[in-house]
Amino acid sequence: MLNDLLLRLRSLFHRKVVEAEIDDELRFHFEKQVSKFIESGMQPEEARRLARLEFGGMEQVKEEHRDARGVSFFETLLQDVRYGLRILGRTPVITSVAILSLALGIGANTAIFSMMDAVMLRLLRVRNPQELVQVRIRSFKSGTEAGGYFTNPLWEQLRDRQDVFSNAFAWSEHRFDLAQGGIVQYANGLWVSGGVFETLGLRPVAGRLLLAADDQRGCAGAAVISYAFWQDRYGGAESVIGSNLSLDGHAFPIIGVAPRSFYGLMVGTKFDVAIPICAARLFGKDSRLDGRSTWWLEIMGRLNPDTAPQQLKARLEVLSQQIFAAALPLDWEKTEQQEFLQRVLVGVPAPTGPSSLRQRMERPLYVLMAVVGLVLLIACANIASLMLARGTAREKEMATRRALGASRARLIRQLLTECILLSLAGALLGILFARWGNEALLRYISTGRQTVFFDLSLNMRVLLFTAAVAVLTGILFGVLPAFRSTRVSLTSAMKGSRAVESDTRLRFRPGMWMVGSQIALSLVLMVSAGLFLRSLVKLATLDIGFDRNSVLLANVNLKVAKVAPERRLEVYDEVEARLQKLPGVISVGRSWRTPVTGYEWNEYVSVDSPGAPKGDDSLVYFNYASPGYFVTLHSPLLAGRDFQASDTKTAPRVAVVNETVAQKFFPGTNPVGKTFQVGDPSREHGPTFQVVGLVKDSKYESLREATFPQTFFPISQMPGNDDFEYFEIRTARRPESAIAAVQQTVAQINKGISLEFATLAKQVDDSLVQERLLATLSVFFGGLALLLVMIGLFGALSYLVAQRQPEFGIRMALGAMPASILRLVLWEVATVLLVGVAAGLCLALATVRVLESLLFGMSARDTVTLITATLVLAVAAFAAGYLPARRAMRIDPMDALRYE
Amino acid sequence: MPDTRIDLPQGTLDLLILRTLALEPQHGWAISERIHQVSSKTLFVQQGSLYPALHRLERRGWIKARWGASENNRRAKFYELTRLGHQQLEREASAWRKLAAAVAQILGTT
Repeated sequence: MLNDLLLRLRSLFHRKVVEAEIDDELRFHFEKQVSKFIESGMQPEEARRLARLEFGGMEQVKEEHRDARGVSFFETLLQDVRYGLRILGRTPVITSVAILSLALGIGANTAIFSMMDAVMLRLLRVRNPQELVQVRIRSFKSGTEAGGYFTNPLWEQLRDRQDVFSNAFAWSEHRFDLAQGGIVQYANGLWVSGGVFETLGLRPVAGRLLLAADDQRGCAGAAVISYAFWQDRYGGAESVIGSNLSLDGHAFPIIGVAPRSFYGLMVGTKFDVAIPICAARLFGKDSRLDGRSTWWLEIMGRLNPDTAPQQLKARLEVLSQQIFAAALPLDWEKTEQQEFLQRVLVGVPAPTGPSSLRQRMERPLYVLMAVVGLVLLIACANIASLMLARGTAREKEMATRRALGASRARLIRQLLTECILLSLAGALLGILFARWGNEALLRYISTGRQTVFFDLSLNMRVLLFTAAVAVLTGILFGVLPAFRSTRVSLTSAMKGSRAVESDTRLRFRPGMWMVGSQIALSLVLMVSAGLFLRSLVKLATLDIGFDRNSVLLANVNLKVAKVAPERRLEVYDEVEARLQKLPGVISVGRSWRTPVTGYEWNEYVSVDSPGAPKGDDSLVYFNYASPGYFVTLHSPLLAGRDFQASDTKTAPRVAVVNETVAQKFFPGTNPVGKTFQVGDPSREHGPTFQVVGLVKDSKYESLREATFPQTFFPISQMPGNDDFEYFEIRTARRPESAIAAVQQTVAQINKGISLEFATLAKQVDDSLVQERLLATLSVFFGGLALLLVMIGLFGALSYLVAQRQPEFGIRMALGAMPASILRLVLWEVATVLLVGVAAGLCLALATVRVLESLLFGMSARDTVTLITATLVLAVAAFAAGYLPARRAMRIDPMDALRYE
Repeated sequence: MPDTRIDLPQGTLDLLILRTLALEPQHGWAISERIHQVSSKTLFVQQGSLYPALHRLERRGWIKARWGASENNRRAKFYELTRLGHQQLEREASAWRKLAAAVAQILGTT
């Protein structure tokens, strides 16, 4: 066997030498034979002639010889490839159409797969990521997850006592403002514990990374920046080490640069700067360090390679008892403290890093993967028809080659090689398309608030996926045509005529079958596109309770300006008063939060009446608002009054409730004048508020929510005013046009005030990013599928018309009207459409259920969508069928018959 | 061409080559000559079958080839039997004898 292999390899790699040897050997034989004849008394001429006769054709001998030698798979492959390239080059239009559609199909698949790879599969670029474990908290009593966030006291306990992990670190994400007042310039920051870089096994590119010694209580602060940030902001200059970086108005010395491959811990974002946790004190956030109810850190640990999962669980349980006891929040209720003490730590493998984006994107990505898979299938069917048609054109070639002795297997192999060449070319181009597609996708899912970042560099997995898809695709669209077109009848093909009737049936049917399945598949795509589109339209045209248009949102932040808490209200009031006077500004409102950002602040509310909501049913969602807020947002007051300037800190506590609160807590009566208390009634009661107004329901957290019970407090009564407020500015013209004026006005008051601008319309839009992504992409791919189906149908019908031309000619010669010929062709369209739609509807009904959770306000079996999709498909099919049908109608009987 | 030539039955060519090479290493032409002579000019091996057969045997490891000089000092490819080839020859020869005896017996009884 080894012998065999060696000889084969030798003939493959030393083809020239081996061929020359064969030549030598045969020539030697020939000459020996000649000299033998001469010795026996023949004339040299005669001897040569006789020897040559005996020998047979030298080339045939060589060929048989090569077969016996096993000249090999590879050599034939090379031959086939060369021949295939020539053949493909001979029909440049068909070839480019095929390559282009394949590139689109394969590119789409690669693009979506590399997103899946980046979001779900890619390991963190650190040392041995598979050893990383995320530490989470589980409630012992209920066994449910209590979350992945820790307080700093808990983290310090864990850090100092744990012997479970070889190393552990805590971290938290935060956006830092790099500007010193004026428009904010955010950097993605990480709070990290000192051991983070050591645990991850990272080495600095310049300077040094943070060490455990940098993260001690009372530290002075130091910053490590990312490679990308270093390049973008400092041009990669070494001199940046030791210089200061301003974060939220506090100067941090840069001590080093993290390695290039390290983008951070969270998939979807990329970190710019990391500072030690102890630096929270510098920002005056001591509560972050000492607060026993301030949950803000996430913890990861590196497993000892020799720790078994069972051991990990047991040792974490022991550790849990110690650390929860030591970090008990002393101000909690007894029962809550009991529950707190019974919490346990669990370790969840996190080789890919934690990500909130992953959860949100997982389902949409699966759906998109299925969508692009279907598109590729439809494209495959098209190219298969193309190959079939070309097969007919090459009938003579096939017949000739068969006649010359090529086996059918050999011809099929040749044709399949051509197909795989096509699909590989498509894949190469597809990878290019995928790069562009991915960039566009990232821009698309990035919102004003968050620029999404994925590490989308090509890796082995993505390349293998693409290669596998390409080869499979080639085989898929190649097999049927290859078998069909090598099944030739030698005699009829050589004669150049064919038995029309039987051949039509033979060749036409597979084409129509393919169109039928294309119709079925594209119907599924169009139904899902319709569903997503209708969901999006429903969400976008929903009555959200306020008018999103022409409102500029300005976040006014006093952090950098370092305004003392007791003076903050004064500053905000002045900003409001000045903004009111700006030309083009219609009204100004203020609030603590703005709607539809995913933010929630809720508390239990109780009222003095029997049958009032209890428990979780009594949760109410809150916000602070100024007297101008409802007017500016066009949220109509339905009863009572708006907030007033007289609602000061010393005045009675008041509130405005929405309709849902009114119905829930004060059913059947006018809520104005009623009172409620905030806080869990089982505990001490919070302050009492009087309802002074009723406002229309509006969306709070997201557009998808069933409207929340919502209550507003006057922002002037906010205890200890926060260091930021949102200003809602309704403008006469485009809201963006007011930005410069607002900026100037605020700078006149205090240059240190930071500003961040957005428009309310964009903010609402951004909250629909997932829905819009699904709708846009599925409509795009649905349209692409429709186009492919139309091309496929057009091709198949043109082919049919060409095949049946003589028949049509005879019919017309015998008196058939053009209209009846038209009917004949359109009948074919109708049949294939009917079968395709029926199959497609069954398929759609069976599969779209999985989309249900991604839809809004409609069932996945939405009749309107099903009917519309079917109608669009039918119109497209007949449009595609019209041209070939018209050609059939215009056949000149004389011409048609002359062909026979 | 003499009319006494007969076609070789399937599979016997390998046996004849192995047997011929068992005496001494030979080049292709000498093999076909020897078969021709030893068979009293009854058997004639076509080059078209000889060389493919030689290379097939080489791939199976029954014979091996090396380049050497012929009687009149021309470069020629010599084939010789390997150990595996000897074993194969014995197997095939005994199988052939059995077959020939059986066929002869049947022919004799009719």
